Amino acid sequence: MSEGRFWALLLLFPSLLVITAVVLYPTATGFLLSVQELRLNRPQLGNDWVGLRHYADMVSDPVFWTSLKNTAVWVTASVIIELFLGLTAALALNRGLPGTRAFAVLILVPMFLPNIVAGHMWALMLDPRLGVVNDILMRLNLIDGYKAWFADPSTAMGAAIAVEAWHSFPFFTLLLLAGLKGIPEDLYKAAAIDGAGALAQLRLITLPQLRTVIAAAVILRVIGLVNSPDLLLVLTNGGPGRSTQVLSLYAFQTAYKDFDFGYAGALSVVMFALLMVFAWAYVALLRVDRD
Amino acid sequence: MADLRLDRISKRFGALEVIPPLDLTLEDGGFLVLLGPSGCGKSTLLSIVAGLEAPSEGEVLIGGRRVTSAHPKDRNIAMVFQSYALYPTMDVRRNLGFGLEMRGIDGAQRHDKVTRAAELLQITHLLDRRPAQLSGGQRQRVAMGRAIVRDPDLFLFDEPLSNLDAKLRVEMRTEIRRLHDRLGTTTVYVTHDQVEAMTLATRVAVMKGGVIQQLADPQTVYERPANIFVASFVGSPAMNFLNGRVVVQGDMPMFLPDGADPVRLAGLPLHADGRRLVLGVRPEHLSLGAGEARLGGVVDVMEPTGPDNMATVRIGSASVIARLPPRSGLKAGTPVSLALQADACSLFDPDSGARLSLGEYV
Repeated sequence: MSEGRFWALLLLFPSLLVITAVVLYPTATGFLLSVQELRLNRPQLGNDWVGLRHYADMVSDPVFWTSLKNTAVWVTASVIIELFLGLTAALALNRGLPGTRAFAVLILVPMFLPNIVAGHMWALMLDPRLGVVNDILMRLNLIDGYKAWFADPSTAMGAAIAVEAWHSFPFFTLLLLAGLKGIPEDLYKAAAIDGAGALAQLRLITLPQLRTVIAAAVILRVIGLVNSPDLLLVLTNGGPGRSTQVLSLYAFQTAYKDFDFGYAGALSVVMFALLMVFAWAYVALLRVDRD
Repeated sequence: MADLRLDRISKRFGALEVIPPLDLTLEDGGFLVLLGPSGCGKSTLLSIVAGLEAPSEGEVLIGGRRVTSAHPKDRNIAMVFQSYALYPTMDVRRNLGFGLEMRGIDGAQRHDKVTRAAELLQITHLLDRRPAQLSGGQRQRVAMGRAIVRDPDLFLFDEPLSNLDAKLRVEMRTEIRRLHDRLGTTTVYVTHDQVEAMTLATRVAVMKGGVIQQLADPQTVYERPANIFVASFVGSPAMNFLNGRVVVQGDMPMFLPDGADPVRLAGLPLHADGRRLVLGVRPEHLSLGAGEARLGGVVDVMEPTGPDNMATVRIGSASVIARLPPRSGLKAGTPVSLALQADACSLFDPDSGARLSLGEYV
């Protein structure tokens, strides 16, 4: 080893130590948990190594498959709606029309609310007896009677996605607005002279130029959605039945209601693997690094 | 092809008047350079012609057609930007043909036109590349190709060479000149580089504070600048200015630079005695040769540039630069007497800065 390399490693050592302590150790512990028996309410089972038994159990666990399917719906629908709303808001704010400065801040308000607060607030607004949403929809003659949005398996997921979209679309607005600011004005001028209309400009300039930002935002949001059970925990707790049960919520309940940390660990590892595959495939698909 | 006419065009941003009302005409096939320092309103004026910016008042006419409120795409113009503004996600071929594509020209015809433009600019080998894979000069060529492919009525150039290095800039300047000689398309070209203005223009509009200071052919702008601003902006090194006044010695009216000896200038009228003037003289009109009009001073600095030897000479309270031949043997500190080519000098009013012709010396 040359002297230069030695010094490089020596200087890197402190940060490697920190990374090992705060990233590698907990991650490794999670992996180890998933191949162990660890049920706090049944200590007599011990905590032996069980190999891949939890994973094998998962294959025959109908709740796992329901959760997986629900996760896909929950994440896909939320991200698509949030991206659409976020892009629309960002495009509107980027026009710099008079008075939009205030909106740029107002639009971020939902994101400032903690998930738990937003969840309870919407639970109240969508309440079947005194919710304001039901009242408004009644007055507009859009529904016949007060609806229990979260009690009906056919509307629970939709209502939850609506709340989630409301809560998180500003995240996309924020990132996309930053991205829009980075697109050279000359491109739009050139396109205007070349005869490209607003839609053509959006399709051929804005979206391609935002590609990297969109990719980063979607990946971050998908990770957040897959991993955070809090909003659904407040709104539906996975019900009615298992119609809004998602993997993160299932893992949370398995760990902190059933106290089965081994199985919960295995569920988390599966989520981890799914996210890794998703992120890799998504980046490869967009070929973010091409230009 | 078409002529361009601006009729009482003005531009205000709120209370700020960027361009006071101005008129301008450019003949069919002409090459107009809008020249001026940054912030002089030249780019705003170009944007108004392009339709990217609406004038506060006035009319834009291209080929006799009023286009003041027409969308940029309906003006049959093409524009080349300083940043090139190539579409980064499209290859060169599509970049070139994009304007045609948006106008619904079919593929075969588009292909022909793109091929022809690419051949003209020698970028055929780049057609399948993306802008990110091109050098600055190549991007500039593509940007020009995109402009000529549509065969527009009017070319607009917004500081197209400013992002290139010095050598490429000279090459591309020649290229633009060649292109204009060949296509003869009416062109408006914005720059702050007076060499570009001199080499390219059939007409130069020197601007300052939104006002056209002088509109003339480049040679006239150089030889007979309309005021001190134009005189100092055009030419490198800049024109020398000597403040002084007219004195009559015997029967001879002379120009007396402040703190220096009088100079005999032909044509100064007798009755101008005592009148304060600014004498403007270009560095190449000062020489070591013979002549009646002479300026005496002391050499301050010698700067050989190869073909020339630029001498900075202290004359009274002022200093002037003279373009002398190489190996003149002068050194800093040597007294020197410079011959002044009197008929090539300019005289300006010290208060207004305006050029004075012989009859106006008083």
